[in-house]
Amino acid sequence: MTTQPAPTGADALLARAEALRQALPENFRDQLVQSLYAEAEGVARRAVHPAGERRRDWDGLLDRLVTSPIFGLPIMLLILAVVFWLTITGANVPSALIADALFWFEDQAAALFTALGAPWWLTGFVWHGVWRGLAWVVSVMLPPMAIFFPCFTFLEDLGYLPRVAFNLDWLFKKAGAHGKQSLTMTMGFGCNAAGIIATRVIDSPRERLIAILTNNFVPCNGRFPTLIMLATVFVAASFPPALASVAAAGSVVMVVLVGVLFTLAVSALLSRTLLRGEASAFSLELPPFRRPNLKQILYTSLIDRTIFVLWRAIQTAAPAGAAIWLLGNIVVGDQSLAWHVADFLNPLGLAIGLDGVILLAYIIAIPANEIVVPTMLMVYLGVGMMTDTPGFTELRALLIGQHGWTMLTAVNLMLFSLLHNPCATTIMTMWKETRSLKWTTLGALGPLAIAFAVCFLTASLARLLGWA
Amino acid sequence: MNIPLLIVGLAALGAAVFAPRFGLLALGRRFRANRRRIQTEDALKHLHACAWRGQAATLQSLAGALHLTLAGAVRLVGALEAQGLLRVAEDGLHLTLDGEQIAVAVVRAHRLWERYLVDEARMPLADVHYEAERREHSRDVESLGALDAALGYPATDPHGDPIPTARGQIERVESRPLTDWPLDTPARIVHLEDEPAALFAQIAAEGLRPGQTLRVLESAPQRLTLSDGRKTFALAPLVAANIFVAPEPVTGTPTARRLTGLKQGERAVVRALDAGLQGFTRRRLLDLGLTPGVPVTAELPSLFGDPMAYRVRGTLIALRREQADQILISDEV
Repeated sequence: MTTQPAPTGADALLARAEALRQALPENFRDQLVQSLYAEAEGVARRAVHPAGERRRDWDGLLDRLVTSPIFGLPIMLLILAVVFWLTITGANVPSALIADALFWFEDQAAALFTALGAPWWLTGFVWHGVWRGLAWVVSVMLPPMAIFFPCFTFLEDLGYLPRVAFNLDWLFKKAGAHGKQSLTMTMGFGCNAAGIIATRVIDSPRERLIAILTNNFVPCNGRFPTLIMLATVFVAASFPPALASVAAAGSVVMVVLVGVLFTLAVSALLSRTLLRGEASAFSLELPPFRRPNLKQILYTSLIDRTIFVLWRAIQTAAPAGAAIWLLGNIVVGDQSLAWHVADFLNPLGLAIGLDGVILLAYIIAIPANEIVVPTMLMVYLGVGMMTDTPGFTELRALLIGQHGWTMLTAVNLMLFSLLHNPCATTIMTMWKETRSLKWTTLGALGPLAIAFAVCFLTASLARLLGWA
Repeated sequence: MNIPLLIVGLAALGAAVFAPRFGLLALGRRFRANRRRIQTEDALKHLHACAWRGQAATLQSLAGALHLTLAGAVRLVGALEAQGLLRVAEDGLHLTLDGEQIAVAVVRAHRLWERYLVDEARMPLADVHYEAERREHSRDVESLGALDAALGYPATDPHGDPIPTARGQIERVESRPLTDWPLDTPARIVHLEDEPAALFAQIAAEGLRPGQTLRVLESAPQRLTLSDGRKTFALAPLVAANIFVAPEPVTGTPTARRLTGLKQGERAVVRALDAGLQGFTRRRLLDLGLTPGVPVTAELPSLFGDPMAYRVRGTLIALRREQADQILISDEV
């Protein structure tokens, strides 16, 4: 090296630091961590005294049970089914109560407006439009979330969820993804936006992005009502009454499995194309089973998850309510704007085995999927506001008798509901989590393209084989 | 014809073309300047690479490396000579001190980015060269320094090449191509040549990484047979010539068993983490407590055996086969 004038001050320090750094052994970081652990061990040995081995044995037994090749998967599916069942049946009554209360308020407020001499369009827009949209989303969304999220948090606190990721990792590894994606998917059953936030547990950016982009393929609480309605009206009706509820539940489970299949397939596709990379480091701590802390559960699930998701949904549902009311009440020529748009969309809808009204409902329901069915019924019935589901017999008469629905329509609507673009809340969350326009766009439009392609395929196939 | 509208329209058009910073002309000028800078840097890098390998850089080699016509290369060399970045001599093209400084800075940026892409972004090794080629040109000294610090001042890039320090020093590691290496002598991979890409892709696909120890078992004109103690590799000599090795410093690591070899219920002690494992994954394993000397027990296989959960420091930690394979163990002492 050339001799330079001796540097002074900060320069000298920096030069010395660089020289010392080069003299460090290659594995000095390992040694650093090792010495930290040695210190921590010393502290722990002085302070912590193990009380015995009994608990560990019980833990070990439970661990072997939930990860056993025979019982592992059935136990997992059973727990998932119980959580679904609790959510669906438990939410019915509170949903109806909330809906009654909010719609009662709507009637009173609308009556008050009319009494004060407000023009009909103001009353309609504010109360039958914006308020009704909000009321619908709150009453459909809040009770299931208030049941689902605590159940989920309970399993999380118990220590069971990491075992699920542990059990399913082999599947995700094959798709080039991370085992913890199964957790974010489970969360997605509650709400896709919450599922996307949950991907923060995945520490590899590539695999986290895969989890974000595919979370939409698990149907959320907002889409379950549509699936259940279709399963009841179409699938269950073609079985004897004794088997009807089992058939309905079975077909919902089938749809969920199709969603899982698509999640894995799209993950595999992404990790071989746009997000090329090896299935990378997977390390997962399996904490000991713990008695869950109820207060903690209620706080995390209600404040952190439910209220958070609900607030975002409300922000998007109010404008949707306004749009629906306007479409239903602005009459151009001899029919409402809604029917004009539906007529325009009809050829496209028919090509994929649906119809224009369904597509219109999905466009309006971009802010929140809960309002798909009410919007569809509003347009079919020709009334000026979203409408509650009538009895199933009337519904069959309306859909099959008057509007030409077939089994193909039902199956494709299920598929479309499962695969189509995520709701506005979820798209917003994608943007917040990735801060990338590119990935957000892909996450929004990719599923839509898949939904169209799949529905087009099933429709063409069904027509080719003469089933529809 | 509406005269005022015409004037406004012309003014808007003029502004769009001539605006000092965002006009089309200015954009075009900036675009050309940027392209020229990139070309300059690529040329200087080529000269530096030739000097590093002890070869002479010529007009022909420059034209080849930058995909230029010979006339284009002549023009470029003329411009660079005028800027005082290189000089033309009898035996070829040489960097001046100024030129060398720029070249080393570009090489530093390139290799730091490669390190980042492999360790932190965890891109496949075969893909990082192209991405780093793109990123090396947009660099400012400060953010590069920050990157260097964040990566922990790495000494080599993922191909094993030394990364120049901020002061421009490059440490040279003596190495020979694997084709010149004697049989049955432990050799440590210190460098993988990343160009041409097709040969490198073969090396990367075999899973060979700098830091790995190999022995040449057999050397025939058509193929070299290598072993890393667990697996044997067969490589064409053309491929093997792109793998550069140095003598393995004798370390205390005995014949390495891997954590994957541990059966359920068995106990062992962690010896070390594989030297090829760097960056994020290595840190994560260390943070989980898998430091040298710690006892591990294979405790709980998952449904299909992979991943496996190991008891480390009282905690149950699940690792995939690939991770467990990077952890060297020995019997308990």
